[in-house]
Amino acid sequence: MTSTATPVAATPVTAAVGADPPRGRPRRPRSAWLLLLAPVLVFDAVLFLTPIGRLVTQSTHDQAYQRVLKDPLVVRSMLNTFEISALSTLATVVIGYLLAVVIWRRGPLMRVILFALVLLPFWTGVLVKNFAWAVLLQDNGLVNSALQGLGITDGPLALLHNRFAVIVGMVHYLLPYAVFPIFAALAAIDDRLELAARSLGAGEASVFRRIILPLTVPGVSAAGLLVFIISTGFFITPVVLGGPGDMMIANEIDFYARQLTDFAGASALALLLTLVVSVLVAAYQRILRAGGEYEAG
Amino acid sequence: MKRASPRHPSALIASVPVFLFLVVPTAIVVPVAFNRSRYITFPPDQLSTEAISGFFGDPAWMSALLASLQASGIAVVVAVLLGGSAAVALHGRTFPGRAVVTGVIIAPMIVPAVVMALAFYQFFISVGMVGTVLPIGLAHAVISVPYAFLTVRAGLAGLNPALVRSASSLGAGAFSVMRFVYLPVIRPGLVAGALFAFSVSIDETVIALFLQSPSATTLPVKMFTDIQYNLTPKIAVSSAMLVTVATLGLLVQVCFTIRRRSIARLLPLTAAADQTG
Repeated sequence: MTSTATPVAATPVTAAVGADPPRGRPRRPRSAWLLLLAPVLVFDAVLFLTPIGRLVTQSTHDQAYQRVLKDPLVVRSMLNTFEISALSTLATVVIGYLLAVVIWRRGPLMRVILFALVLLPFWTGVLVKNFAWAVLLQDNGLVNSALQGLGITDGPLALLHNRFAVIVGMVHYLLPYAVFPIFAALAAIDDRLELAARSLGAGEASVFRRIILPLTVPGVSAAGLLVFIISTGFFITPVVLGGPGDMMIANEIDFYARQLTDFAGASALALLLTLVVSVLVAAYQRILRAGGEYEAG
Repeated sequence: MKRASPRHPSALIASVPVFLFLVVPTAIVVPVAFNRSRYITFPPDQLSTEAISGFFGDPAWMSALLASLQASGIAVVVAVLLGGSAAVALHGRTFPGRAVVTGVIIAPMIVPAVVMALAFYQFFISVGMVGTVLPIGLAHAVISVPYAFLTVRAGLAGLNPALVRSASSLGAGAFSVMRFVYLPVIRPGLVAGALFAFSVSIDETVIALFLQSPSATTLPVKMFTDIQYNLTPKIAVSSAMLVTVATLGLLVQVCFTIRRRSIARLLPLTAAADQTG
């Protein structure tokens, strides 16, 4: 255990441990921490890096990239992904901002209660949420009955199995992810700025427009990026709530893998998606680091 | 800092429909499970527990429930052990390559679930591990490890590495350091990590869908398959169960937050992009 003197262990911290009086066995072997780290590294090497490595190798076969990019269905699903993700992100950020402001303006107890309301869908799985939306939006569902009961519509509206339903389901899923970064940005605002603005005669609207909004831009960008990143990977919601014309890139990957059994094509698509997501994640972490609001991990 | 007086009453009123939008879909699931008719309506015409006894008497749903519990059991144990020990190992250490190691541990959280699903699908077929729950549990463990790692690391952030050195220099062995210095600090992080791992696994659909077999179909996969044909009361029962689990998770998290008096505790895990809808 103590025999393996690895170069990585030679840090100031372990060097200080080495200053133990040399009686008996060393109290804290300098390589003990490697034994704690090794299991996760071996585990991830076998079950994460190896599968991803195979994916990369697969994607280089059969001119997969050229092939998939020529497939009109792939192009269609990419456009769908972009359009649906952009619309969902926009709606999520706007609604999320409203929620974050409302929570921010409450006292500590109300904050926890309102956060719990935001967190309930966060803890609930996507299928449960999709199922609930399917029940609510179906022809004889609550939404249609309410619309007819109020005399707004005569017959049931087709609310399910279309893009509208997909976006509703996605916004519902994504809201918690927008509320947190925006709330963090709001909470970081120095109260005195607002007091100063008010004492100088600024009204509600101009305090918001000239103080609060500009200071939360980094939080809003972080929220928008995070929500967009998550949107691009949606798979279940388009199937359950959407129609045949609403398939997204993840559905196309599934189609290539499990219907066409074209693993090269599926892998190429998967890596293209990963590439886009990685670029967005890098941008997201830059924003977080610049804002320094909370640890991104 | 007191904001007890509402200065934006208009915003509060405007937010009521939004809060309803957030909560209603989750809340209707439970009454829907008491639906009497073969097809789902809300509000239910007649209340009955028929669907619930039907669910628990249906071998297909029971085996799905069992598969889900087995997979999440594997995921929780592996994630807590590996993620927790990695966080302790990296605590207060700097060495070349530290960022790479952290990156590898966290990466499964960022790679889109469908990409992971495809990678696992090809990998487990190539090594001949198909037809059981084990590959699903291991795959869920891979994506759960980052959660346990991050929650334990967040707990350790307040522990000065000098304390560990003092303990050792005062004669504490590796076991005592672990037991008396690290464990009390990381315990809440371990609990939170276990909770996250369970929640990730019990709801995960895409990977489980790719790795499914007749003998290893998890609850969400069964729901996903059935939902595409009909909205049946049994799906509602399954949903209601998952909502109950989610509510318990939420309550634990809220208690945790109130005890720590910090909403910031809720925040760090929102970086998870792996979540797939």
